[in-house]
Amino acid sequence: MNKLKLLSILFLTLLFTYSCNNDDTTAPLPLGDYENGYFITNEGPFQNGSGTLTFVDDDGTVTQNIYKTVNNEDLGNIVQSMTLYGDRAYIVVNNSHKVVVANRYTMEKQGTIEGDDIQNPRSFVAVGNVGYISNWGDASNATDDYIAVVDLLSNTVTDKIPVGEGPEDMLVDGDVIYVNLQGGFGQNNEVEVINIDDNTTSTPITVGDVPNTITKDASGVIWVLCGGKPSFTGSETNGSLIKIVNNTITSFDFGDTDHPANLSIDGNQLYYNLNGKVYAMSTTASELPTAEISGLDGFYYSMTTNNGKLYATDAGNFASEGTLKVYNLATNALETTITTGIIPGSVVFQ
Amino acid sequence: MKIRIVFFFITVVAYAQNDTIHLLDEVKIYGNFSPAINSGYQVQILTDSTINSRQQSLGTLLQNKANLYFKQNGFGMVSSISLRGSGASHTGVYWNGIAINSSLNGQTDFSTFSANSYNRIEIRKGGGSILFGSGAIGGAINISDQIIFTRKKETQINLALASYNTQKTLASSQYGNQSFYAKMVVEGKRSDNDYPYLGTELVNENGNYQNYHIKAVLGYVINSNNQLHLFATHSNNDRNLSRTLTASSRSKLKNKENRLLLDWKNFGASYNSSLKLAYLNEEYNFFFNKTSSDFSFGKSNNFIVKYNYTYFFNNTLSIHSGVENTYSTANGTNLKNEDRNNVEAYLLVHQKPLKQLRYNISLRKGFSSVYEIPFIYAADLKFSVSPQVDINANFSTNYRLPTYNDLFWNPGGNPDLLAEDSTTGEIGFGYHSKKITLSLGAYSTKSNNLIQWRPVTGTFWRPVNVQDVSSYGVEFDMGIQHQIGIHQLSLQATYAYTVSKDNTLDKQLIYVPFHKSNAILTYQHKGLSINYNEQYTGKAFTTTSNTQSIAAFWLSNIEIYKTVLKQQLTVGLSVNNLWNTAYESIAFRPMPNRNFELNINYKF
Repeated sequence: MNKLKLLSILFLTLLFTYSCNNDDTTAPLPLGDYENGYFITNEGPFQNGSGTLTFVDDDGTVTQNIYKTVNNEDLGNIVQSMTLYGDRAYIVVNNSHKVVVANRYTMEKQGTIEGDDIQNPRSFVAVGNVGYISNWGDASNATDDYIAVVDLLSNTVTDKIPVGEGPEDMLVDGDVIYVNLQGGFGQNNEVEVINIDDNTTSTPITVGDVPNTITKDASGVIWVLCGGKPSFTGSETNGSLIKIVNNTITSFDFGDTDHPANLSIDGNQLYYNLNGKVYAMSTTASELPTAEISGLDGFYYSMTTNNGKLYATDAGNFASEGTLKVYNLATNALETTITTGIIPGSVVFQ
Repeated sequence: MKIRIVFFFITVVAYAQNDTIHLLDEVKIYGNFSPAINSGYQVQILTDSTINSRQQSLGTLLQNKANLYFKQNGFGMVSSISLRGSGASHTGVYWNGIAINSSLNGQTDFSTFSANSYNRIEIRKGGGSILFGSGAIGGAINISDQIIFTRKKETQINLALASYNTQKTLASSQYGNQSFYAKMVVEGKRSDNDYPYLGTELVNENGNYQNYHIKAVLGYVINSNNQLHLFATHSNNDRNLSRTLTASSRSKLKNKENRLLLDWKNFGASYNSSLKLAYLNEEYNFFFNKTSSDFSFGKSNNFIVKYNYTYFFNNTLSIHSGVENTYSTANGTNLKNEDRNNVEAYLLVHQKPLKQLRYNISLRKGFSSVYEIPFIYAADLKFSVSPQVDINANFSTNYRLPTYNDLFWNPGGNPDLLAEDSTTGEIGFGYHSKKITLSLGAYSTKSNNLIQWRPVTGTFWRPVNVQDVSSYGVEFDMGIQHQIGIHQLSLQATYAYTVSKDNTLDKQLIYVPFHKSNAILTYQHKGLSINYNEQYTGKAFTTTSNTQSIAAFWLSNIEIYKTVLKQQLTVGLSVNNLWNTAYESIAFRPMPNRNFELNINYKF
């Protein structure tokens, strides 16, 4: 009797499952726990520790250390940046000299890109099945910096493109990749241009000192924010916002001791951080804004915008958990404050 | 050679008889570390039988034998001390009475300091800036050579083979007579140091090291009132900096140190004095990539003139004074040519008004070309309740002066930094009998204006006088000697409870374990000696918010020695980390698994 009951339940279950799978009107199965929301990359303590990923779900749930929870291994030392591409997440781990490849929805590890050809990686972009990783090489050597070209099907490096010192942020624009040459531990003032067709470089574009972020607006204009040389270098220079239209450069100069950072774009507004304040500027403006957006003040370690919200991280004392503040850009009101891992360096949106 | 582990807790050593003679001799030989003028303090002394039993670093020796706590970046890597919950630059380290903490970072690397050929190590816990100067906040450690004018001729060869392809060699020769003393020491160590990280597939890559030290000590008796002592050392360390659990390494660090000291001792029936001239030189070369020829460096020179004078008015009253001038220079990749001159002076009055009571009152003031040196003062006493029981107490104000890196590091150095200041008080109780010694003490320290490097931006950091720390704790020490026929047993056990809080955060400082304990059990029978050491280190936080920590661990070591051939030859076997425990001193930097060492010592 019991056996029969069990069998009939099993049969019914199978039938039900089968019919479900063939039911076109049902919502698609979830792709993973991390499908809806955003990530915070936390660098972690330098040398003696591991960076981590924090996930903030659309329902507001915050989960720390998700990569380790899923994979039971440390991500590595200094999680520098993360890029979502296709159904994968490419997590750049600077001081472990590797890029960890994981499923972007489940965070399950799929492999790594590492070896002698990945040295001090900084950021990742991809076109088709080809990835590009900016590398400082030996940080004390100014002439060994390069972009590693990666076959994303095998996660192996197929080519190295030598570039100037300190390649950092990259931007894919049609058949070229722009690479900010921030300067590594020193200071540089160029944007390298890589031709995707043959992995060669064109003449670099000279911009302001220390280009720290690069973005593109809806009309295809490239914007590069340059911090200028900081005062401790002994040869301080002003920051500048560079507008590149068809290789024509317009420079908006900041004050002599102003060093802006963290450029992002939301709608037709550019946002950046300067002297503990947040500024917005229209992509069609002819000069820099003079007044900050009130209510958003803070010396942020990283800052970005997305869908009408500003995401700003504070690394605190760099030796304990940091915080992320989310502001509504329509009202400039603080929406939420989230505790992150150690040294939150970027926010990445699903 | 007799291997005997004897701890003298000076608080419990009686100086009941011949007090003045003792005091005079003590001060003559041991200077400011003389227990006599540290009445209210614990001065723990390691003697050469303990120090010389094996070739090991000063850090390993002090951790195993004196329950001191070190933060070590993996075995053989940089090792810094934290005494009573204080920072790495808050323990004064002295070589024959001369301060040797680096002028660049204010610290001593206990991993590269080779202790073997020294005769005596004094560990004085508690504030001591008056007698010892800048940095003696958590305590002071003096490593000294002893010059004894007796007929002696001895040569010693020590060879050791250990795990991870480690070889150590030491040759030491000394000669002495009534008026002359000479000692030469040459030693070298090398190791692949590629121990496995337990529980992982990794090994300690890039952790290999090699070093050598040369030392000469000379003593000459000019006449019955005058002696000249000369000490010279050269040490050279070359090591790669090992990987961590999450990051590989290609770095390399080279250190060189030269030290020269001439000490003219002049003494009479009621006074003694010492004029010291010293030259200290240090240099480091850091290679980010060991295969590259690019490196960054820093170096400094110190020229020290130090005069100490002690006068004994009578059996119960003496004054001890000193004046010291230090001129130093520094330069490096991140330091322009910098120099400074400090002159400091102190005065201490020692009195013994009653047979049971002795006390000291002292003060110190200094002047510098770069910053202000605070005026500090202190008092301490010891009261003997009975021949077996005494009580000691002390109160002191102390300081640490900013280092060259703090002041001038480019970028970031802050030339406007103030001296750190600290106030500390302590009370202790001691009991001693022929077989048992006990001591129990409690202390409290408040430190202000501690220098911390704080981020101005993510990449630009700057030191500021910002941190206030309150520390307090309890320390317990116990020694038991027992003899059954010709079998000798002894047990030394210590326990320290340490709270050290950042007052702004109201959290325990990182890498300060609340609990630390150590026990050494020794058995001796004829030429055989077995020495079992068990250590417990409590968990220590690794984030300033106290949310993450490294785990507590037990560590066991055993040493077995046998002396044969008329006490000329000693063969020793040591097993470190006997139970193969996985442990870390610094997070993500595993320490060695179980490892072995075979040691042969031949004296003739």
